[in-house]
Amino acid sequence: MNALLAVAQIKGPHLDWAGLSPLIALLGGAVTVLLLGLLRNRLVRRICVPLLTMLVLAAAAGLSIWRWHHAATLVSGALRVDDLSLLLGLVAIAAAAACVLLSLRAAAPAVAGEGEYHALLLSTVSGMVVLLAAQNFVTLFLGFELLSIPLYVLCGSELRRRGSLESGLKYLIVGSVGSATLLYGLALIYGATGSTDFSGVAAALSSGSLASDPLLLTGVALTAAGLCFKCSVAPFHQWTPDVYQGAPTPITAFQAVATKAAAFGIFLRLFDGALINAQPSWGPILAALAAITIIVGNVGALGQSSLKRMLAYSSVAQAGYMLGGVLVSTRLGLQATVFYLAIYLFMNMAAFAVIVARERETGEGDDIAGMVGLGSSRPLLAWPMTLAMLSLAGIPATAGFIGKVYLIDALVDGGYAWLAVVLVVGSMISLAYYLRVVAAMWMRPSAGVAGARPIMAGGSAEAPTATRLSGLEVSVVAALFGAATLVFGIVPSPLLSLARDAGKALTGIF
Amino acid sequence: MIALSLVIWLPLAVSLLAALLPGQWSGRVAAAGSLVTLGFAVSLLFGFDTHVGGLQDVTDKVWIGELGTHYKIGVDGLNLALVLLAALLFAAAFVAAAMREWERPSTFFVWLGLAQSAVFGALLAQDLLLFVAFFDLMLIPFYFLTGGWGGPNRVAATTKLVIYTLVGSLLMLAAAIATGVLAEPSGGHLSFVLSDLRALGLSKGSQEWIFLCFAAAFLVKMPAFPLHAWMPDGYRAMPLPVLAVFSGVLSKVGAYGFLRIVLPLFPQASAHYQTLMLLIALASILYGSVMAFTQTDMRLIVGYSSVAQLGFITLGIFALRPAGAQGAVLQMVNHGLVTAALFFIIGVIAARAGSEDIREMGGIAFRAPVLAALFLIVALATLAMPGSSNFVGEFLILLGAFQAKIVIAIVAFTGVVLASVYALRAFIRAMHNRLGESVESHEIGLRDVVVIAPLVLVILAIALDPQVALIRGQRTVTASISAAQAIVNPPSAAAGVPITTGTPASPGTVSPPAGAAQQLPQRNGGSGPSSSAGSSSGGSGP
Amino acid sequence: MPIVWYVVVSALVFCIGTYGVLTRRNPLVILLCLELMLNASNLALIAFARQHGNADGQIFAIIVLVVAACEVTIGLGLIVALYRRRLPIDVDQMNELQG
Repeated sequence: MNALLAVAQIKGPHLDWAGLSPLIALLGGAVTVLLLGLLRNRLVRRICVPLLTMLVLAAAAGLSIWRWHHAATLVSGALRVDDLSLLLGLVAIAAAAACVLLSLRAAAPAVAGEGEYHALLLSTVSGMVVLLAAQNFVTLFLGFELLSIPLYVLCGSELRRRGSLESGLKYLIVGSVGSATLLYGLALIYGATGSTDFSGVAAALSSGSLASDPLLLTGVALTAAGLCFKCSVAPFHQWTPDVYQGAPTPITAFQAVATKAAAFGIFLRLFDGALINAQPSWGPILAALAAITIIVGNVGALGQSSLKRMLAYSSVAQAGYMLGGVLVSTRLGLQATVFYLAIYLFMNMAAFAVIVARERETGEGDDIAGMVGLGSSRPLLAWPMTLAMLSLAGIPATAGFIGKVYLIDALVDGGYAWLAVVLVVGSMISLAYYLRVVAAMWMRPSAGVAGARPIMAGGSAEAPTATRLSGLEVSVVAALFGAATLVFGIVPSPLLSLARDAGKALTGIF
Repeated sequence: MIALSLVIWLPLAVSLLAALLPGQWSGRVAAAGSLVTLGFAVSLLFGFDTHVGGLQDVTDKVWIGELGTHYKIGVDGLNLALVLLAALLFAAAFVAAAMREWERPSTFFVWLGLAQSAVFGALLAQDLLLFVAFFDLMLIPFYFLTGGWGGPNRVAATTKLVIYTLVGSLLMLAAAIATGVLAEPSGGHLSFVLSDLRALGLSKGSQEWIFLCFAAAFLVKMPAFPLHAWMPDGYRAMPLPVLAVFSGVLSKVGAYGFLRIVLPLFPQASAHYQTLMLLIALASILYGSVMAFTQTDMRLIVGYSSVAQLGFITLGIFALRPAGAQGAVLQMVNHGLVTAALFFIIGVIAARAGSEDIREMGGIAFRAPVLAALFLIVALATLAMPGSSNFVGEFLILLGAFQAKIVIAIVAFTGVVLASVYALRAFIRAMHNRLGESVESHEIGLRDVVVIAPLVLVILAIALDPQVALIRGQRTVTASISAAQAIVNPPSAAAGVPITTGTPASPGTVSPPAGAAQQLPQRNGGSGPSSSAGSSSGGSGP
Repeated sequence: MPIVWYVVVSALVFCIGTYGVLTRRNPLVILLCLELMLNASNLALIAFARQHGNADGQIFAIIVLVVAACEVTIGLGLIVALYRRRLPIDVDQMNELQG
């Protein structure tokens, strides 16, 4: 292709292959995995495909780490690979790796085809990498869709289960509405400023004459709404519980963590980068949204007995917390958001890994009843879940505490002390449902719950009969991420310094 | 000199180690570890230099640089006595627990070890965020201990307990961060180290809402009257050795927080809300005493008496006078010892009566004179019999209250009277009267004696010489209230009032500027941003 | 003809699309309405490109066309999968997931 372009005497943009290498690894890996999945040999499909996927993810992670501190603008300003995009990209890659491990014995890849399943997963991750590095509206939209479209399919990948298909279609419809809204917003911003580049938009806004331009403000509002769909910020969150519950659990785990990282990454880039000069107009509105989200998410989670639905509402609430870090538009807020996204990976993955294990072991689906007595029967699963719940609730000695402290610090520092109080009130409400899970695990006796009841609607259609162990890899994922939750709660400095590096990526804020 | 970090983390380390051992051994090893910790704590007492004001044995390391948080711990006259108390009560609880059979014993002792570490951390922390972290962390082991090993209806009770206390704690977290951020000098460096914060000071407006958040957290923990609703259920559900430390130590950490954090950092707000706090204290005293008189469950009698006693402690603190504050510190120690001893005795009595309800007890003393004697000593200490250390404590508290608000002090006096009523009622109903129906009276066993007798001995020792606890704390306590005292009662007026503390070691009146000056060398010695020595918030009352 | 009319038309199309997505029950019709929303954006982009005299908007519009096609393909695929399982393809009857 390059040679062709050279022959035609068209001057293509200079390509920085080193900077693009993580993305190339992911996309090339996706194609290879897809081809490998075409082989009929069962061994190849069940072992080699996940293995190759893990290798691809490891390569992408390694290349990302190699590019650390090598900020570069690529493809004539369309992408910018810097510490912010690399760090959040690493979060997405780690989530994908965990998802691959959790899917090893799941129903979804077997039904949908291993090659397709893993290739779609890799292309979603590459979409996130593009989105996180986007520097103009075109790459933003491309990344956004490259992230979303494979994810719609993945949600519906458990073809034999009605809930999975429904969740795929629901996610597609709601997600597309979000994309269309985002796109229209971007078009209006382009109309107001005459540029699709973030830098051009920022330059057009810096004069201040556009601050009250209705075209711009409508565009900003629609863009924010579109991104809020993806971040599941209220009132655009209604899809979240349904999709989380219906999707295969490993995919739910992946999208809960990685989609949030990518969507908040671009939220930061767009609002704290390109649109920073319009902050006085969108800051208060986002603050109101954040407050509503915190309350709606936490109250919605209260009555849920399905753990996936509960975590869905909890993710809505957590999105509200993180939105607080975005809207203060300070370096501190940026760092706090990035840090929170990173620890969100640990706590959510630990929780979902345990849910995957219990779905396979009990036949209770993801119902909270499946957790009863876990403390005495499976302490190695109960501890990670306990740590995850305590961390999500923000208890000291877990990473969640540091994350909340950091966010509150940013909010108070940015002059949004009232939102910090809302955050705290939300955390109080959240205690009620997080502790319910902990109480079920440790404080109720397990009395022959295993395999006694028919499979519930939300659970994976697997092993409804006898109790069997869920596989070593699930416990390993749970233990690993649970331990990370604890370690970064006591010694947060390494992660904080990464977040600080990432925070230096945006130059327009202080 | 023993590194304080060792004292903090030893209990957790030992209990984690013990968890690897088979069931029975884990309890013994954990109990041995708690005795070693007690030994370290006692060596702290002897290593403590009474002539030096301010902190000793300071460890100061950066914990989270980005958040200006240090791992700074140190001991001074204010927390020394409480650390000793905590070490003693936890040792008693560990020993008592090790002699009983538990389900999943290793997990039980891990939680108890974590509880001890967290309590020590909260008591020794000299950084606001570190304090808040330990303060919140303290609760988690008790949540699991109550929920996992408690009595009937434990899940609901423990959830209520956690939600109540964490609501307060989370408000405190927000307030603590606000304190650091608002006190940050422009262009300066964010720091949560207490001595830095004290040097910087806050505006009166922010002090006021921050004060309310902190007060909510501490009052829930104590518990004080309007915020005590978690107490009856929680106390009924907790296993007794756990309840002994919970009631004996954790409630004191709340009161300690007022002296360590609130009064020095928010002096203007403390002065502003003095009357409110005194009224809450008064309400707690009266409500707790009356409720203690009407209850029949032994645990609740002690529980409500704690509400009343902590009301006294709050009263002493917010009298904002040296005498009151010193009385409060003394009373914290006394009350911790007495309550813990009472709960252990309740366990012994309940084993004989088959119930913890005093209506089903009676006549136990006939065949158990030693038990009766121990109970009597503790009961007399509870009602602040003259000659007991509780008497000295309450006397000092009321003295302080008289100097501050005479009307409140007079009403609070009725609390002292009521205390004798409920304490004696409980004692007589349990030990004398007609023999209860299902009571099998027999003498206290050796296992229980080794737990209760040391506590009673310490109660007697302090009664003989209450100065022990007072002398070491005097300078620090006076310094910590000096800023707030200066506002309520300007130094010129205060100098004229002779304050008798009953302690001959040093003059009772330490004028506020001098008290603040004691803190200054320490402040500059810390590694935080150095502040000009002149900007003392101590003497700068309006 | 001033650019503003194109923008007004695009806004109207966008609103019609949004209304359709919110009220229609057949997923096929919903997909059509989504197309309306996306094409409204395309119209606006091209109009603005004309106004500002640069090609950015037009390039953007072409890329959006491609992406929209992908989206519809996936949507139709999911609908076919549901249809093959003889499940109702009326979004109001999709009540498996509710809470």
